[in-house]
Amino acid sequence: MIGLAQTIVGGLSMGAVYALVAMGFAIVYRTIGLVNFAHADVVMIGAYVTVTFYLTARLPFGVSLALAVGLTAVMGLAMERVLRPLEGRDLDLMLIGTIGFGIVLESVAILVWGSFGTAVPTPIPNVPLHVGGVIVTTYQLLVVAVSAVVMVVLFLFLDRTRLGTAMQAAAMDRVAATAMGVDVGAANALAFAIGSAIAAVAGALVGPLLYVSPGMGASIGIKGFAAAILGGFGSIPGAIVGGLIFGLIEAFSSGPLSAYADLITFVVFALAMMVRQTGIFGERTGDRA
Amino acid sequence: MIRVGLGKPALLAVLFALPVFLDLYKAHVAVLIMLYAIVAIGLCLVMGLGGQVNLAQAAFFGTGAYASAILTATYGWNPWLAAPAAILAACAVALVVGLPALRVQSHYLGIVSLGLAVAFASVLTNATLTGGASGITRIPPLPAPGIDLTDEYNYYYLVLVVLAGVTALALFVSGTTLGRRLRAMRDDSLAAAAVGIEIPQYRLMAFVLAGLLGGVAGVLYAHLVRYVSPDTFGLGVMFLLLAMVIIGGRDSVWGVLVAAALLVAARDLLIGLQTYQQLVYGALMVGTVVFAPRGLAGVASAVRRRLPFPWPSVPVPLPWRRSAEPGPAPPAPSPRRPPQAGGPAIAVAGVSKRFRGVLALDGVSLEVAAGEIHGIIGPNGSGKTTLFNVVSGIYQPSGGRVLLHGRDVTGRRAHELSRAGVARTFQNLRLFHRLTVLENVLVALDRDPAYAHARYLLGPWSVLRRERRDRARALALLRDLGLDGAADELAVNLPYGLQRRLEIARALAAEPSVVLLDEPAAGLTAGEQDALAEVIRRIRGAGATVLVIEHNMALVMGVCERITVLAHGRVIAAGRPAEVAHDANVVEAYLGSETAREEAV
Amino acid sequence: MRRFEWTAALAAAAMVLLAGCGGQLAGGGGGTSSAPIVVDLIGTFSGQNADLGSWAWNGVKLAIDGANAKGGVNGRKITLQKYDDQGQPTVGTDLAQRAISDRATMVYGSDLSTVSLAMIPTLTSAKIPQITSGQAPAILAQGSSFIFLDSTTSAVFDQTLADYLVQKQHITSIAMVSNNDAYGKGEHDSFLAELTKLAVTPTVDKVVTPDQKDFTSVLTEVRATNPKALFIGAEEVETGLIAKQARSLGITATFTGGAPMGTPTYLQTAGADVAEGTIMTSPYLDNDANAKTRAFAAAYRKAYGQDPELHGAKAYDGMNVFIAAMRKAQPDLGGQRLVDAVRAIEYDGLLGHFKYDERGLGLHATQIGTIKAGKVTPI
Repeated sequence: MIGLAQTIVGGLSMGAVYALVAMGFAIVYRTIGLVNFAHADVVMIGAYVTVTFYLTARLPFGVSLALAVGLTAVMGLAMERVLRPLEGRDLDLMLIGTIGFGIVLESVAILVWGSFGTAVPTPIPNVPLHVGGVIVTTYQLLVVAVSAVVMVVLFLFLDRTRLGTAMQAAAMDRVAATAMGVDVGAANALAFAIGSAIAAVAGALVGPLLYVSPGMGASIGIKGFAAAILGGFGSIPGAIVGGLIFGLIEAFSSGPLSAYADLITFVVFALAMMVRQTGIFGERTGDRA
Repeated sequence: MIRVGLGKPALLAVLFALPVFLDLYKAHVAVLIMLYAIVAIGLCLVMGLGGQVNLAQAAFFGTGAYASAILTATYGWNPWLAAPAAILAACAVALVVGLPALRVQSHYLGIVSLGLAVAFASVLTNATLTGGASGITRIPPLPAPGIDLTDEYNYYYLVLVVLAGVTALALFVSGTTLGRRLRAMRDDSLAAAAVGIEIPQYRLMAFVLAGLLGGVAGVLYAHLVRYVSPDTFGLGVMFLLLAMVIIGGRDSVWGVLVAAALLVAARDLLIGLQTYQQLVYGALMVGTVVFAPRGLAGVASAVRRRLPFPWPSVPVPLPWRRSAEPGPAPPAPSPRRPPQAGGPAIAVAGVSKRFRGVLALDGVSLEVAAGEIHGIIGPNGSGKTTLFNVVSGIYQPSGGRVLLHGRDVTGRRAHELSRAGVARTFQNLRLFHRLTVLENVLVALDRDPAYAHARYLLGPWSVLRRERRDRARALALLRDLGLDGAADELAVNLPYGLQRRLEIARALAAEPSVVLLDEPAAGLTAGEQDALAEVIRRIRGAGATVLVIEHNMALVMGVCERITVLAHGRVIAAGRPAEVAHDANVVEAYLGSETAREEAV
Repeated sequence: MRRFEWTAALAAAAMVLLAGCGGQLAGGGGGTSSAPIVVDLIGTFSGQNADLGSWAWNGVKLAIDGANAKGGVNGRKITLQKYDDQGQPTVGTDLAQRAISDRATMVYGSDLSTVSLAMIPTLTSAKIPQITSGQAPAILAQGSSFIFLDSTTSAVFDQTLADYLVQKQHITSIAMVSNNDAYGKGEHDSFLAELTKLAVTPTVDKVVTPDQKDFTSVLTEVRATNPKALFIGAEEVETGLIAKQARSLGITATFTGGAPMGTPTYLQTAGADVAEGTIMTSPYLDNDANAKTRAFAAAYRKAYGQDPELHGAKAYDGMNVFIAAMRKAQPDLGGQRLVDAVRAIEYDGLLGHFKYDERGLGLHATQIGTIKAGKVTPI
């Protein structure tokens, strides 16, 4: 029983990170319809930038995080600008364009920071708390708390502000939105910027949990993507649920069948996709003749 | 006789002569280029031709290599016996990876296939059969009487021969009916189903082709390097293959070959600067996608078009004529299926169709006599297209029955109904935009089921023979409809009116007994509308039954013998045009109740 | 089918031709002349394990520079070529061919077992001696007389460690966590075999993957058995992560394992508090151990501005063994003669005493060390 609870705790804290990655991903998808394969590498850049400000420039973690968020948001804007000609035309090509971007980002990271990674100390003292036989560390709590705050802020933004509503409108129907005076190009750019910013937060948070290296995007990224899809592409609550589920699947399968964890995770994922193509919360869009 | 640009034979000559100029190391690199090119051609077939996003191609390559390695190194099989087994294993893995493609497409499929590739790598690393992370060593070389196949130069020629064969196969497939059907499926799977293509089978076939080529390359790799380990077939290789296909031009086999050579050679030149190499690959991918989406092949044809002089080319004998060339008179078109004596061609009995909360069709019944021209009219949103979709098998009805020539076809899918003789056009024009005009018609003309493609293996010459026959028939049809001048134009480049006509030509190519035309007059000029009316009458004259959805009342009144009026998913009137025009219900549906009362008075 | 054009076709052909221009058929290495002796270093300089290649390069270069400063081998200078195998066995085979084209006298490579394994058939049939930092059992199992290890095998490492833990410290409650790549599996199998020899059963034996990030469920099982020591068989970073998470979960066992635990990477990833008290076995523990290591460390620091560690020291020793062998074999440095010379000599290096057997193993013992106050010290 304790073992089960402990595993759940571990799964949820990684799951919160996957949820953040998935959310950043989902917001770009729902606004532009773009699957951004470079997203995982944006997470990595966010982690590196935070670490550079935190360890090298010795700025407080919060400030480093804010700077990283700003820089990656600008990077997101740049990516959107380059890929703009393809928007709404050939989705598959856009997907591949983002794969290319991802490769570029990883090479740039190696050139700037070297291929060696860095370990990052936690920004707050990482004290293990005993809660009924289960151990939760303070940093794990911080990760979950910050993720929750980001989720709530994103919700409020999309639902309650004009800018957010305009973005939703642009996502649903470009033409109608333009007719209503929404600048769709700006909405798309904003989505990219927000998505990248969230990625930076995920990267900064996950750094102290693991290890920051140019290749870190790979394993987090693919689970983040899969989480976003599992939850329903474009659905923000879906991304959160998907991320948590992935964290849990990973935690549970790494116990008894650790060696085959990846195999199980992705076969289950493939089967889930076949059963419900648009994910748990996804919208079914019919092909109208 | 067709003319082939000089580039291709020049390339072949260079490849044959090359080993003389290369030292051992460069020969080894050249062999690797050719092996990667074989795998990349497989990816080109499934992604470029079939439109399936497949990020697991490296796993098929790996299956071929590992299967051959296990059978020969661990179980001592003769490598020539192990090879076909290994290739079959790769095809089997491809089939499994292709299964999700039956339910998901595009980016979903991309991520699912990527995940399965990761899962595959996990199996390789953990199973004892595969030697775990250390891989399998001491793979025996391929035995050949009198030739030492551990010699790099000899192996070069072996791989060159295989590459030539694979390229020929790929070109053969893409230039004939199998390739055309795959491309049609890629361009518009809904319309493809409507012309009789069984989409699930073709998606799987695309994957199996990719697996076949990956497996062949894998076997050759295993007996060249004689060591396999899980890292050899991971994401790095996958992205390299993807770069080759994208930069070469997704559906161009030659483009992929050149891109393979360029990328691997570039990697070799930049061998001391691996990070810059990565940067270059990534930047090239982004650049190609944004600025030259057709890849090298697209750039090359654009350059060719702009040159002031024609390209040097050599004549190559091929068993069919280019469409512009005159030839003997095509065979007379076979007579259309005569209308069934007695009994309606189509009978719809109490059909309803519900979408979640919306009842699009509510107990619709109508009968269309054989050889009749029947109009379906009604305000927007009344369910006309939905009715067509049910009759043509794109939707399955929630209730009621559909009978075709007296046979119950309720719930049958689009491609089955297509084979049963139903053809249609679409309200929003669904041509295969990256196929030429001729190819659009050819796709519909071929009525063979999917398993007939076994001919490719059992009797390739019959494929060519049919190709020649079908092209002649297709040209004749285009001539009938005045489209033969544009036969080699891409469908997407035609003016709107001609595109509409092409869609009708495509519908007729299948020699249907029932033709459904969905708003065929939309956007046509007055002159074009007259021509359309003529065409409709000719279709009926050849023995088919025609249903027309239209808003253009002049056309409807002029051409249709009987009309059914739909409103809110129900039939509100049916009969001859003149009767229906004055029916109070019809007027109310179109104009509102005030007018109806006025009319009645 | 889109038409393809001659511009691109001929461009490709031209490129390949240009690259091939001036190519000659290759021969083996060595030969007698006054031309410089070519040593090819094939290592991993990119990707996740890029540090391994750099460390090897540093050590080998230092050894060669030292030899050249003393006039080289019989008046011949040694030149060092660097190639990046990118961690990929396929690239490794390319580079093995390249070494043949280069007429290399010997190859130092690779730092990864999988890449080394891929290169062995090619180099052996070309009779080019190869020395590697990999330690997977499969390497020696190839039965090639041209392959040498610059360190020792997991078997030797783990025998030393197991003997120390069980016989000297009387620790019999040991849990095992290892990953399933070539190195981790080798460590797992060797350590388990040694424990079995000493009639000890591990309290729990878990396997993780090299990419795994969260070890909570595995470590929870470990915690439940309350072991005195936790053996970790994985590379530097993963070992550090496992140790860090173990402490967060309240596991108080002593961490123990092989050479990766003696590196600064482990110390940094786990954190100094977590790493304190780790017991590891490594042939090279401390730059201050003796006069030789201090001299080496000083030279290394002067040349590269950083402190050396195990991998650099291994490479330095390995290269020096070969330089000594070359001095013995000269003037004929052909493959067979050189490997015979390697087996004929003995060498006292930073890692210990080298004497190569027919299989290619030269170092037959390692040391035990521990981390005290953030520094690795011998016990």
